[in-house]
Amino acid sequence: MTTASPAVPARKGATLGWLRRLGTPKLIIIVVVAGVIGYLALVPLYYLIWGTFFDANGFTLGGFARAYGDPRVGGMIGNSLWFAVGAAVLSLVVGTALAYLNVRTDVPFKGLFFAASIIPLIIPGILYTIAWIFLASPDIGLLNKLIEPVFGPGFFDVFTVWGMVWVEGLHLSPIVFLLMVAAFRSMDPSLEESALMSGASRWQVFRRVTVPLTRPAIVAAVLVMVVRSLESFEVPALLGLQNGIYVFTSRIYFVLRTYPPDLAAAGALAVGLLVFAVIGVAISNLVGRSGKTYQTVTGKGFRPRPMELGKWRPVMGGVIVLYFFLTVVGPLLVLLYTSLLKFYQAPSTEAFASMSLDNYRQLFDISDAMTALKNSLALGLGSATLVMVLMAVGAWIVVRSRIPGRQLVDHLSFVPLVIPGLVLGLALSFVYLRSPIPIYGTIFILLIAYCTRYMPYGMRYAVTSMHQISAELEESAQVSGASWWQTFRRVLLPLLSPGLLAGWIYILVVSFRELSSSILLYSPGNEVLSILIFEQYENGQFTVLAALGVVMVLTLAVLVIIAYKLGAKVGLRQD
Amino acid sequence: MNTAPLSGRRSGSPAKRALASGSALVLLLAGCGGSPTAAAPQATTGGGPTAAEKLYTEVNGMTGQQRRDKLVPLAEKEGTLDLYTSMTSDVADVVIKAFEDQFNVTVNLYRAGSETVLQRIVQEQKAHYQGNDVVETNATELFDLNSEGVLATYDGERRRMVPDAGRQQGWTATRFNLFAPSWNTKLVTPDQAPKTWEDLADPKWDGKLAMEISDSDWYLTLYGYWKKKGKTDDEINKLFADMAKGAKIVKGHTVQGQLLSAGQFSVVASNYSYIVEQAKAKGAPVDYQPYVEPVIARPNGIGLMKAAKHPAAAMLFTDWLLQEGQALLVKQGLTPAIVEGDDPLKDVEIIPIDVEELTKNGEEWNKRYDQVISNGEQVDGN
Repeated sequence: MTTASPAVPARKGATLGWLRRLGTPKLIIIVVVAGVIGYLALVPLYYLIWGTFFDANGFTLGGFARAYGDPRVGGMIGNSLWFAVGAAVLSLVVGTALAYLNVRTDVPFKGLFFAASIIPLIIPGILYTIAWIFLASPDIGLLNKLIEPVFGPGFFDVFTVWGMVWVEGLHLSPIVFLLMVAAFRSMDPSLEESALMSGASRWQVFRRVTVPLTRPAIVAAVLVMVVRSLESFEVPALLGLQNGIYVFTSRIYFVLRTYPPDLAAAGALAVGLLVFAVIGVAISNLVGRSGKTYQTVTGKGFRPRPMELGKWRPVMGGVIVLYFFLTVVGPLLVLLYTSLLKFYQAPSTEAFASMSLDNYRQLFDISDAMTALKNSLALGLGSATLVMVLMAVGAWIVVRSRIPGRQLVDHLSFVPLVIPGLVLGLALSFVYLRSPIPIYGTIFILLIAYCTRYMPYGMRYAVTSMHQISAELEESAQVSGASWWQTFRRVLLPLLSPGLLAGWIYILVVSFRELSSSILLYSPGNEVLSILIFEQYENGQFTVLAALGVVMVLTLAVLVIIAYKLGAKVGLRQD
Repeated sequence: MNTAPLSGRRSGSPAKRALASGSALVLLLAGCGGSPTAAAPQATTGGGPTAAEKLYTEVNGMTGQQRRDKLVPLAEKEGTLDLYTSMTSDVADVVIKAFEDQFNVTVNLYRAGSETVLQRIVQEQKAHYQGNDVVETNATELFDLNSEGVLATYDGERRRMVPDAGRQQGWTATRFNLFAPSWNTKLVTPDQAPKTWEDLADPKWDGKLAMEISDSDWYLTLYGYWKKKGKTDDEINKLFADMAKGAKIVKGHTVQGQLLSAGQFSVVASNYSYIVEQAKAKGAPVDYQPYVEPVIARPNGIGLMKAAKHPAAAMLFTDWLLQEGQALLVKQGLTPAIVEGDDPLKDVEIIPIDVEELTKNGEEWNKRYDQVISNGEQVDGN
C-alpha cells in the first residue's frame, strides 16, 4: 500500500485548491442568496402545488374543475381582466407621469409629491375603499352631493368596474411612482437634450426617447400591477360585490373559507396567475436583456438636470394639486372627519357639534398598541432591509452574471406574488411546526413570511435598476484591481441605491398592512398593527379604525421622509 | 452586444455547479415531509386518555365549591392558560382581565377570525404542537374541531344549564349571536320597518336591502324554518329570490353596520344584533327592535383540548366563563348561553342555527346561497 501514499496528499491538495477557488466571497454570496430565494419561494410553492394536484387518492385535477367549472367563470375572467388591466393602466399613467414631472422637470409643488405618492399606500385598503364609498357612492357620496345641483343625483358611482379601477388604480399608483422615480433618476438627460436640439418637441422626446429608455421599469410596473390587481381583495369585495361584479379573488375567498379549505381550487386559481406571471417575467427579461439599450448610467459622467416646463409649468402645477386633492386630501379628510365622530354621518352642524378626540383616546387605551407598533416597526425595517440586500445580489445574478439557470432565480423570486396570503401562512406553519429550530410562535416566523411576500417587489425594483447600469462601470473597477465584492459594494450598490431605496420604502410601508398571513402566524406578544386594525374592524369600531389610520399615515410619512433625506445623500445627486 | 463582465466568465463553471447544488438542496428541503395537505388530521393521542383527559374526567363528576376548590390550586400551580378565541377583542379584554384578577393565572390570548382559529389549531395539532389549552369560537368551527377528534368531554352543573342546542359533543355554548333584520331610522319609519322575514321580499326594498355574502348559515336555518312551517321549496326559493332581487351584497357584518348607519341602504337582512346595538348606543340612526321573529341564534362555544398543557386552568376558565363570565358577557351587550333571573328575550321566539345540517351539507348550502345572492340583479344608481 506504499504506492498509494504519495497520492493522498496530492489529492488533498487538489481538493483544497478546488475548495479555495470555490470559497471566494463572490461564490459564497451568490450561492447563499440563490439558495435563500429558492428556499423562500419553494416552500409555499411546493405546498400549493401539492395541494392543487394531489389529494388523499393521488393525482387529481378536481381543483381545476371546481375553480374554473363555475358557470360564471367567463364573466368572472372578463371582469377580472377589465379590472386588472384598467387599474394597471391607470396606475401606470398616473405613477409615470408624476414620477417624470417630479424627477425630470421643474414642476412646482414638489413637496406634495411624496405625500401624494406615499399616503395612498399607507392607508389600509379597507379604509381607503370605505373612504371612497363615503365620497362617491351614488346614495351617500359627498362628492355626489356637492355636484348634485349641476349634474343631478348619483353622477359618480363607485360601485361599478370603473369605480373599482379608479380606487385600485389610485391605491396602486405609488408602486409605479416609486419604480419610475428610480428609473428617471438614473437617466442621462443628455439623450433628451440631444433630441431637443435636433428639433423634437417635448412630447416627441417623452414618447420617443424617455419612455423607451425606461421600458424595463415600465414592463416591471405593468407586470406587478396586473398581478396585484388580479389578487386585490378589498376593492372587489367592498365595491364589486354590491352589484354582483365577481372577480378571481372573490372565488379564492370562497374556496378558502370552507373547511377543510379547498386548497386544490385555490391552488388552481393561483396556478392560473402563476402561468401569467411566468410569461410576464420572461417578457420583462427579454425586454431588459437587449443589453445596452437601457443602460443609462454609463461610464460617462452626467448630472441629471431637471427640464424646464416653460409655459406648461402652471398647468402642470394645477394638475398636481388636483391629483393631490383627489388621492390624498379627499380620502384623508374623510378619515380625519370620521375619526372625530361617534359614528359616521354626513357632515352637518349636528355632526360637527358631536366631534371629540375620544377615538384617539381609545386608541391609546388599547393595551397592545405599543407592542404592536414596535413589532410592526421591527418587522417592517427588518424585512425591507433583508429583502433589498438579498435582491440586490439576486438582481446581479439575473442581469449580470452568465450563470446558467440564472433566470430561474428571477422566476422563483416572483412566485410568492401569486400565492394567496393564507396559503403562505399555512405553508409556513406546516414547515416550522415540524422544524427542530424553534421559529414557530416567535416573531421570526412573521419575518420569514414578510420576506417571502415582499421578495417579488424587491426583485422587480432591484432588477429594474440593474438594467440601467452599464456593465462598463464594473469592468473598469475590476480592471483597476477591485475584487468582485469591492466592486459590488463600492460601485454597484451606490448606483443601485435609488431603486433599492424605493423598494425599501415600498416594503416598509406595505408590511404595516400585511394581515392574511400574519393573523395565522402571530402569537401572544407578537401582535402587529395590522392585527389591531383587523380587531377594531371586527369590533365594529370604524371610527377608532379611522383614528388608527390617521396615526399610521403620520408615523409612516415621517419615516419615509427620513429615509428620503438619508437616501438623497447617497447615489446619484441632482443639481 | 456582449456585455458579460469578465468575472462572470471566469468563474462560470464552479458557480454553475454551486448554483445547481443550491437548487438541489432547496428541492431536497422542500421534498421531504410527504404530503402537507392531503393527509387527514388525526387525534393527537394514540390510544388511551391523555393526562389532561384524566383530570377532566375526574373533575367532570364534581360539583359546586368542591369542584372549584379542586381546580383553583391546580390551575394556579400551572400558572398559565393558552386561549385561542374568535371573541372580538373588546369583549375578550374585559373577560380576560376579570379572570386574571380573580385567579393567579396568566392568560396568553390568540385572537383571530373563527376560520383562522380553526386552521391554526388543526395545523398545530397535526404537528403535535400544544399551542392552546382551550378554544372559544363559533359553532361551525367547533363542530369541525370535534370531528378532528381534538376536543375533550366536558361536563358539570353549569353545562347542564345551557339550552339543548348549545350542549354538543366536545363543546358547550357560552353565548349566542342573534341574526335579525335592522334598519336606518332616518330612511325607514317604524310603520315601514319589516315585521316578518317575509317582509324582506317586498319589492319596496329593491335597491335598499343589503345582504351579507357569507350568511349561508342564516339562509339554511330560515329555509328549514319555513319548510317546517309548511312552505313549499318553490315558495321559499321565491321569497329568497325576491329578497336578493336588487339587493346590495356586502362583505362583512361590520361594514354592513357602518354603511347602514351612513344610509347607504335602508335595511339589512341579517346583521348581528350586537353590532347594531353598539351603533345605536352611540346615537347612530339604526334599530332592530321590535325583533322580527324568529330571531336566528348562532351559538359560540368553548371546548377543552385533549392535549392541553394546562388542563386545570382550561377547565377552571370554562367553568368560570359559564358562571361568573356570563354576567360579563351580558354587560358587553352579548346574549349569554345561561339565562339566570330576568330574561330580556323571554317573549321572543329564538331558533338556533341548524349547525348539524351546516356541518353535514355546508358546502351545498354555501353554493345555494351564493347562487341566491348572485341573482341579485344590479340596480343602477339607486
